Parts: sequence; C-alpha cells; structure tokens
Amino acid sequence: MNPRLKFSLAVLAFGVGPLHAAEPIDFNRQILPILSDACFRCHGPDAGSRKAKLRLDQREGLFRTREDVTVVVPGKPEASDLYLRISSKEEDEVMPPRESSRQLKPAEIDLLKRWIAAGAPWGTHWAFSAPQRAPLPAIENPKSKIENPNPIDAFVRAKLAKEKLTPAPAAERATLLRRVTLDLTGVPPTPAELGAFLADNSSGAYDRVVDRLLASPRYGERWAWDWLDVARYADTNGFQGDPERTMWPWRDWVVNALNANMPYDQFTVEQLAGDLLPEATRDQKLASGFHRNNMFNGEGGRIAEETRVENVFDRVDTTSTVWLGLTFTCARCHDHKFDPIKQTDYFSLYDIFNQMSETGSASGGGGRSGAIVPVLDLSTPAEAEAVKRAQAAIDAVAVEIEKFELTKFPRPEGKPVIDSPAAQKLPGNLPATHARPAVNRRDLNGLLEALPFFRDTEPDAEYVKLLQKHIAAIRKRDSASNNITRVMIMDELPKKRDTFVLNKGNYESKTDVKVLGAIPSMFRPQEIGATADLPRLNRLDLARWLVSAENPLGARTAVNRAWQAFFGIGFVKTAEDFGVQSEPPSHPELLDWLATDFVASGWDMKKLHRTIVTSATYRQSSRVTPARHERDPENRLLARGPRHRMPSWMLRDQALAVAGLLNDTPGGPSVRPYQPAGIWEEATFGKKSYQQDHGAALYRRSLYVFWRRIVGPTSFFDAGARQVCTVRVAHTNTPLHALVTLNDPAFVEAARVMAQRALTSAVRTDAARLDMVFRAATARSPAANEKSVLLARLAKLREQFGAAPGEAHQLAGAGEFERVESVPVVEIAAWTALCSLILNLDEVLSKE
Amino acid sequence: MSCHNYEQLHTRRDFLAQTGLGLGAAALAQVFGGNAFGATAAGSSSGGLTGLPHFPAKAKRVICLFQSGGPSHLDLLDEKPVLGARFNEDLPDSVRRGQRITGMVASQARLAVQPSKFAFQPGGKCGTRISDLLPHTREIADELCVIRSVHTEAINHDPAITFFQSGSQLPGRPSMGAWVDYGLGRLSENLPSFVVLVSVNAKRAGQGLLARLWGSGFLPSGHQGVQFRSAGEPVLYLNDAPGITRERRRAMLDGITELNRLQHAQSGDPEIETRIGQFEMAYRMQASVPELMALDGEPAHVRESYGPDVATPGSFARNCLLARRLAERGVRFIQLYHRDWDHHGGLHDSLPNIAKDVDQPSAALIRDLKQRGLLDDTLVIWGGEFGRTPYAQGEANREKYGRDHHGKAFSLWLAGGGIKPGMTYGASDDFGFNVTENPVHIHDLQATILHQLGIDHERLTYKFQGRQYRLTDVHGKVVKGVLA
Repeated sequence: MNPRLKFSLAVLAFGVGPLHAAEPIDFNRQILPILSDACFRCHGPDAGSRKAKLRLDQREGLFRTREDVTVVVPGKPEASDLYLRISSKEEDEVMPPRESSRQLKPAEIDLLKRWIAAGAPWGTHWAFSAPQRAPLPAIENPKSKIENPNPIDAFVRAKLAKEKLTPAPAAERATLLRRVTLDLTGVPPTPAELGAFLADNSSGAYDRVVDRLLASPRYGERWAWDWLDVARYADTNGFQGDPERTMWPWRDWVVNALNANMPYDQFTVEQLAGDLLPEATRDQKLASGFHRNNMFNGEGGRIAEETRVENVFDRVDTTSTVWLGLTFTCARCHDHKFDPIKQTDYFSLYDIFNQMSETGSASGGGGRSGAIVPVLDLSTPAEAEAVKRAQAAIDAVAVEIEKFELTKFPRPEGKPVIDSPAAQKLPGNLPATHARPAVNRRDLNGLLEALPFFRDTEPDAEYVKLLQKHIAAIRKRDSASNNITRVMIMDELPKKRDTFVLNKGNYESKTDVKVLGAIPSMFRPQEIGATADLPRLNRLDLARWLVSAENPLGARTAVNRAWQAFFGIGFVKTAEDFGVQSEPPSHPELLDWLATDFVASGWDMKKLHRTIVTSATYRQSSRVTPARHERDPENRLLARGPRHRMPSWMLRDQALAVAGLLNDTPGGPSVRPYQPAGIWEEATFGKKSYQQDHGAALYRRSLYVFWRRIVGPTSFFDAGARQVCTVRVAHTNTPLHALVTLNDPAFVEAARVMAQRALTSAVRTDAARLDMVFRAATARSPAANEKSVLLARLAKLREQFGAAPGEAHQLAGAGEFERVESVPVVEIAAWTALCSLILNLDEVLSKE
Repeated sequence: MSCHNYEQLHTRRDFLAQTGLGLGAAALAQVFGGNAFGATAAGSSSGGLTGLPHFPAKAKRVICLFQSGGPSHLDLLDEKPVLGARFNEDLPDSVRRGQRITGMVASQARLAVQPSKFAFQPGGKCGTRISDLLPHTREIADELCVIRSVHTEAINHDPAITFFQSGSQLPGRPSMGAWVDYGLGRLSENLPSFVVLVSVNAKRAGQGLLARLWGSGFLPSGHQGVQFRSAGEPVLYLNDAPGITRERRRAMLDGITELNRLQHAQSGDPEIETRIGQFEMAYRMQASVPELMALDGEPAHVRESYGPDVATPGSFARNCLLARRLAERGVRFIQLYHRDWDHHGGLHDSLPNIAKDVDQPSAALIRDLKQRGLLDDTLVIWGGEFGRTPYAQGEANREKYGRDHHGKAFSLWLAGGGIKPGMTYGASDDFGFNVTENPVHIHDLQATILHQLGIDHERLTYKFQGRQYRLTDVHGKVVKGVLA
C-alpha cells in the first residue's frame, strides 16, 4: 500500500490531523501518545533514565514550576517551557535533543501548542481507568438505518457517519452462513446445513443457526485453538532433547470449559489458581496446568535456579499479557519507559508466581520423561491397581533374592552383599547395586549392569534367573506407571520463598529490595501506600483481582481478542499492548460497551460471540471497491464485512470436512498425521522419530495434532509458535503457504476423497458433480463463467491423465484412505486435480 | 516492476486473453515486484524499507558458517603457550575473577590449567597463527580477519546461540537474517532471501537446533529463514504429488489464477492479487530450488576443492558449495549450521575430526567466492556461540582432555564484504580467559555485520509492545578496526 494513503487514513480515522482542527483536543488520544513516544524515554516513569528530575507522565511534573520555569501553563503556550523547548531553534535548548531518534513533526508541535492554548486538559491513559458504558449513539444517517440495531451497529455506524462512509450491504446468505460457521466452529457448513438455511426464510433463521453453532461441540474445539496459543500449549518441553509431556488433559479441560460456556472469570480463576480454591476438585487442579504449559529448559549444564527463574518470568509475562494487555516484561530489568510500571511491580507479580514447588530441575513427575513435579495423577482405579500389583511383585522378588543371597554370599546380619567375603572374591568390581540390600535396588540401569557381571563371573543359573526376574518386575512396574496419565499442575509451597528484585532480571543478582505479592501500583487506589503495608497476595488473590471491577483491562483484553478473531484486527490493534505506546482503539466506546456488557452478562463468552455475529456490522458483505479499499485497507472503520485467509489449522480442518474425512472424536492424546519424513530426526539428531498414525487418527481435527515444540507441525503456517504466550498471529501470504495447500498429502488426499465421493454419488454429469464439489468448498454454485473455466480444466486434465494412466494411478492412490475400485483411475485423477484446484482457490482459502 | 516478468505474464499464460481482464501496473508491481515473497496481508512490504540501505553497502549478502556447540578457541585460533608452561596448576583467581561456571563443573574440586595438544603455525604473508587442525584455513590466512576478543554473557548453548542469532538470550526476537530481509528485502525473484542449511552427519551427535533460531520473532513471519533440507524435499512440500507433472500443475494453476481473477473482480480484495503472485512464485521455486540443489553443472575441480564430503548431501562441504550457489543467485542471508563442537570430554579425539569436516570446505568457499569476484561483496563469518575454558573439565591431561563452555573470550573469523583481510584483531590474556585488548561483544559483531550491509544498527528498528526493538537491543558498536 502507498504509505501516504496509510498516513492520511490514520489521520481520518483517528482525528489527529488538520481536518478536525476545530474539534476539541483529546489529551488521551492525541497528546499523550506524542509525549510518550517523544519524551517519556528521558522524562517518563523510569527513574533510572530520567533527566532533569522531570517526569511528564504525571500531572505534577507536567505542570510543575521550578526556578520560575513552568513546564505547561494552561492557556499560554508562549509561557510554557514545554512549548518553548519543542519549538526552539537553539541547539542546546531544543527538545527532543537533535541526536534523539524521535523528532517532533511540525504538525505535532502545532497540536501541542493548540492543546496548551485550549487549557491543557489532562487525563490518564484511557486503558488505565475502568471502562465506561457510554449511551448508544443515535444513528443519524438515514441510509445507515437498520432494523433492530445491535449496540455494536450503533457505535460502528455513528463512526461511519462521521467519516462520511456508508456501510456495505448485507452479505449473501450463503456467504454469511459459511462465514459464521467457520468463525464459530472452525469447519464449513455441510451441504445439508446450507440447504436448510437457504430454505428457511422465516425471520429467526439466522439466530437459530447461531444458536445451533454455539451449542455444537465443534465450538469449544475452534475457540480452544486461540487459547492454546495464549497458553503456549505444546506436547513437549522445548529446548534440547525436547522431551514429551502430557498436557492434553488440560487441553481437553479447555475445550470442555468453552463448550460448557464457563464464565470467563471462572475460566480465569481456575486456570491461574484452581489448585488454591477451597476444596479444589480434580478438574480445578487440572485447570491450573495453564501455567505449566511454558517451555522448560532441562539442558545438561543448566543451572536449575536459572530455569526456575525463567519459568516464573514466563508466568508473569503471560499473565500480564493476557489479563492486563501490558508489556510487563520491560519492567523486569528497569522501570517501564512508557507505562507506569515499576520494577518492583514486576517483582510483586513475580513473588506471586515464585511460590511453587518447582525447582528448575527437570526431575521426574514419574511416568513419561517430560512430566516435572508437581503433577496431578489421573490414573483410573484399574491403572493405580496395576502399579500397586507390579510394585508388590517387585517386593516379593526382592525378598526372594535377599534370602538367596544370604546363603550364596554369607555375611554378618544386616550387612549388604558387598561385605560378604564370598562376594569380595569375585573378579573385578562388584556392581554398585550390591552395596544395598535387594529391596533398595531401584536403579534399573544398575541392575542391567549387574546381570552380566554375575552371569560372567559366577555362573549360577538360579541366581541369574532371580536377577532377571527382578529386572522384569521393575520393567513391568515402570510400564504400568508410564501408562498413568500425569499432568503438570501448579501448587504452593507451605513456606513462602522470599522475593528480591533481581538486578537487570539476572537470576544471580539479587538486590536487597524485598517485595511481596501485590497488584501493580498503578492499579492500586491512590490512598494505599507502599507495598510493605499491603497484605501479601497469592495466586488466587491475583486471579480474582484480574477479573474484578478493579482491573480496568480484564474484560477489555478478552473482548478485544474476541473481536480480533472475527474481524482480523482488534479495536486495539496490538492485542498484547494496551499501554501508552499503543495505537488508540478504533472504537473506544464500543470496546468499553462490549467490555462492560461482558461483565454485566456474567462474563458470558457465548453471549459475547452471539452479540458480535448477530450484528449488522458482522453480517455485511466483504466486497469492496478499490476506492473504499484505499480509504481503509485494514477495514478499521468496519464499513464492510471481514475477509481474511483462514488460519492454517482451519484450512486443514476445512479440507478434511469438505472431503467428508473429518473425524470428530473429541479429546485424548495428541495424534500424528502425515508429516514429511525426517523432520523430527533432523531437529533432534535422530533422538526422536516420528511415528505417523494410520486410519481414523489421520483425520482428527488440527487441535489434536501433536505439537513438538522445537519444530511444530509442518502443515501449519502463520501459527503461534507455542513457545511464549501469543495473543495475535500474523496473516502473511507467501509462496511457502501455497506449497502446503497444494502439496501437503493431507490436502491432496482430501482432494482425492472429495473427487471419489463426487464420482460415486448419485449425480452423474460433470456439471452436476462440479456443482457438488464446488458447493461443498464454497457454499455456493459456480457461476456460468466459472463453470466453463472449470469444465475446460477438467477436460484438459482428463486428456493429460488419459495419456498417462500410470501417473493417473499414482494420484488416484494419494493418501491412505481407501480407493474406490469401481471408478476408472483416470477419472479419479482428473477430478482429484480439479478438487485440489478448488481447494486452493482464494475464496476457499478465505473466510469471505 | 520488472519488464521481464511483465513479458512472461503475457506470453506464458492464456488467462488474460480468455477473460479479457488485464492487470493494472500497480497490481502487477504488487504481484511480481519486490514484495511478492512474504507480502503481508496488511499491505506492508517485505521488499525492503524505504531509506535503506542507510549508506552505501560494502556487502550485498552474508554467509554465516555457524559452528554450534562452542569450538575451542584455545585449540584452533588463539594460541596460548602459557597454558603449557602452567600445566595442571590451578587457574589463578586473578584470572577467573569470580566468573560463574556451568552446572557441569560447579562441583569440580579444582580448575586445572589445560594446554592444547595441537601445534600452531603462521599462515600466509600476514603470519596469523592458526592451529594444525585447520591447515586449509591457515592457507587462506591472508583473506581472513581473525578476532580473538569476542565475548558473550551466555554460558549455555541455547541462550548463547539464541543471543548470537537474535541479539537476545531469550527466545522471541527476530534472527539476524530476518532483520536483514526486513530491512533490505530480497534480490531474487525465485528464491527466498534468507536460507538456512544445517549439516546432517550420522557421525556427529551434538545439540539439536531449533527452528526458532532462524525465526522472525515479532517481525512478519514472511521474513523467517527457509530451511533447505538435505534429505527429502529441499523445501517442505516443494514436490508435486505423485502423478502431478509440471504440465498438470501448470494446468491447475492456470485454472486457479483464472478463477481467482474472477473472484477479485467480484470481491475487490487486493490480497487476491498477492495470492496469485505467491502461487506463481511457488511454481517458480519448484524449478529454481531443485536447480540450485543439483550440482551436476559444477566443474569437477570446483567440487573437488570442497573436499570429498561434497558428494554427501547434508555435509558441511556440500552446504558450503550450496552457499556459494545461493550467493550467486541473489540470496541475501545464507546461514549454515555445523554441530557437535561441544567437547566437554574427549576433545583430543573429537576436535580433529570435526575440524576436518569444516576446514577444507570453509577455505574452498572463500577461494571460490574470490575467484568469481563475489568475495568483495559477500561477508563470511565463521564461529560459534562461545569458546572453551582454559581449564580442564575433569582432570588436566596433556593428551586426553575436555573443556567446558567459556564466553568471556573466544575467537572467530570474518572474510570478504569490506572486512580488512590478513589481520588479527583484539587479544585475550595468557590463559585465553579474559579479553585484554579491543573487546568485541556479540552485539558489536552484529552492529558490524549490519554496517557492512549498509544498515545503521541503531536505525533498523521495529515497534513491538510499544517499544522500538533492534537486533542489538540498546548496545553494539561497529568494530571500526576490522573495516577495510
């Protein structure tokens, strides 16, 4: 896009420029961003880098008088040092200094001048005060009138009227059905659903569709994906070796909670502190696994404390990104440069997450190697019984061995074998295992070394047999124990750790500044003093505060992320940062209206989604003219419906669904669908090899695909890397994406099965079959010119494959799904290529 | 817009004639212009930023020969006779100065001085002393600038490699190649601009490498490095499905394009035009990448110069030759990784072998680039994330020993791209433990690399989370002393 157009749009959209010169200046939206960007680095919240003891982020500093110099004199720019300095031509006077990388533009200087002249109204950054529920604006433009306007539409249309833009007409019904079905469930509508909706002309038809979709089990699966990105969920630890972990029960908890429409405040509290709830249930403890989803570095030379501290950092950073929309990470090393977050605030949150029993050492929670204590044992009674039995068997063998050894290696009572003269006579060093009585020999590797020693030095068939029996019993117990699902969860130390601010965030450099768990000072009521006077908060206190009325950002961040999921961009574009440096929201009143409504509804997520998808704003057509597109390329003003390439995971689900392959089994251990050979091996030097699943597991939803953190599944692109918390993913468009949807066996197989179904269905003609596959993918019939293009392609492909039956045979066998023998391979191949073509159309790749 | 592409569009494909829909010049520029690779939905271009380069560049491209695991500077590039003289003495406290040590030797009773068992000789006219383990490198000493004063804060692999590649020890920042692609855009119409080649060798274990090392961090994901793999498809999903020939792929793509164009006429979303361009580039890559990977056209003497391993796909030697081919074809940032330099024990055995893997190919690459006139504008970097300790891990022993990680002083070399050849820069103390002269921090190295590409490292920034981020964080000075 032309950068100049982008600029003028910003001016139009956010009213910074001369067009709105007559309007009152909004300190928050127009002045504060300039001060923050140009001045706060040296005159902001960070005491460490503050110059001239002047801070402009607080009222006191901005209006202070010292030695007869007043920074800002309301109404009098020429008497205000701030204006004199920014407009000065003197090298040693001008601000920002000439060497600063941020210089003020003439328009900004002018704006600051006008703001002072207008009385210099002051205020805090909008996001730091509680959201206010504004009255619904009246829609003035009669052209914009709609029946039963949804509150969303009132705000959006008021803004459009101000911008002299008209909303787009409603999307066609089929387009709308596909859009809302993809948005709410992540899969396209079935032909039957499409037919039923198109046939239903009664007034509540769309609302009933929305109800059906919100009630579908697919709903929780679709929205869980976004939450797994937030929670940095993966099936391995990350880092070297990348051992597996078992967190899928936590993932299933999320799906279930979303499907059950668990209120977002409860959803929050259980995940942050479910383990601390009074009489916590198994599910609540499981929910607390949220903060065990972080990476874990168990590298060889790793200092455990360094890992532990990094994990605590990650929990602080994730929590503040998700529920505060603030970049607390900056305050790990120093006071925040722009937002009023002190380093002590960072460590007050740190103290809250510093109280878990994790040591930083990757030692076992038992079972699979990646589980690190504390863990929740999810064994069934039968599994627990199996372990108990296996342990009893080990004990019995040990007693037997003990008895045998007493005769074989005579020695004083209570002494180990190693003290027996008979044993000492054996050549070489006695295995270390035999320095202990048999019942204490727990080291399987030690026993595996002891076995050949006794077999080779002192052939005694009976004794060797006993040792083998011991090894077998231990292996059996280990295997039974490995079958038990253990999920990493949170816990709280009985005796709290002291927390000190770490100099520059270095785990080794404790300062003598001790802090206690507290909410950040910027959110504390003014009258409450230093941290030391406050009660020390724990995770449960924090979790409850995050979803209380005292947190101005708890609902806003959630509502903004939801909006982003539907429209591609949130009201606040930087979903991870609502701070002073963020771009002002596109629709501040609407954001606040939705946030307050969300809380008033009891944090009802499905209701929020319903409000959005039933709005006329959402239901608009996404078609756009070049002029309107240039006016608002990112659709920030919402004068049209959303149109985006779908997330890659949804593309895979769509292909499976369209082909009729989608396996809708919910939950359970992650699955391993098609993946090019050697990916894991290459990343782990052959230590991990990919064992692909077969059969129905190949067609499970993307949500259930095994996520090896260091490489990630190859079918997905523009996806969160699941390494740190991600609340916003990129929408890029590269050739590598085209290669995935054209050539990934999952997509080729889907095309082939789609073709096969069309060829074996009741419809007989090419045109009717084409209509069937096209409709399945796009929710509409092809137009006449599209039909002729596609039929011409089909004819050409048929001709090409007809001339090369061997190659037709290859394509007709793509994937593991059964091939229909009754249809000629040339037909299957030609139609497979045609279906692959259809699956790669921009319209099919996009949510239209 | 390139005229060449415009012609191709008209001659090769039939859809324009059939549909009667033409492309406007602006649209063509978007489809086939500099931003076709990785153009973002938001419309921002990955065709490089306006105003870049900030000043005339000395280097057009970078080849980074990364030696992962921590090659021992004391046995390769930084000769320390004092270690021999003080064999098995305790490392003086005056040298260690409380430097933290890794968990692996923290429990060791003493830190015993460990000499190198390998001899050093002067190389070239400049006489730079280089170990017998790198004889080919020594032969090209006159092309190299050996820096013996590099230092880093990190002491474990993952943070140290992440730091070298992204300027931060913690994951999440863009890697160097991503920054360069973001700032300068690409030179090739047929290949991505940031390509990664990882040696694969059954004999070498070593540390795993994480794809995030060539990730784009918070930059748009189109800037991330593309790994060209040695086994299977060089680029994931590059090959058409069995039964889909080029001819059939073309037939399918023409259909996709034609319908996308009809769709564009309906919906008006310019993103559709970008998508058409990306599908076309994918098609071109399907030809250009195999052409790149096939070495048939390389004369025997060139192949042989890289050593016998060049015949093995995935070898460092093969990847060095591919690096030259990538450089010729306009790839901007070529990142190689060779692993298994982590010699905690058995260094005496393992180091000669791995040095042999890389010595001849590295030297051959420099010669090959020079012979083609490419060395002048190609900056080559050879080195690892840190060096190794002058004390033994375990017992000191003149013949058999190992060394732990050491980041306070280590060595690497640079060549080409406007770097002064035939010199050494900086120095470490008698133990190779601390830097004594001209320290070069990793951020300084990064600033210097960007500088050679015509980028002021302080001005290549990206706003994320309300802050302007850059590769060098808030640090880094261009190392003027190594510039030609």
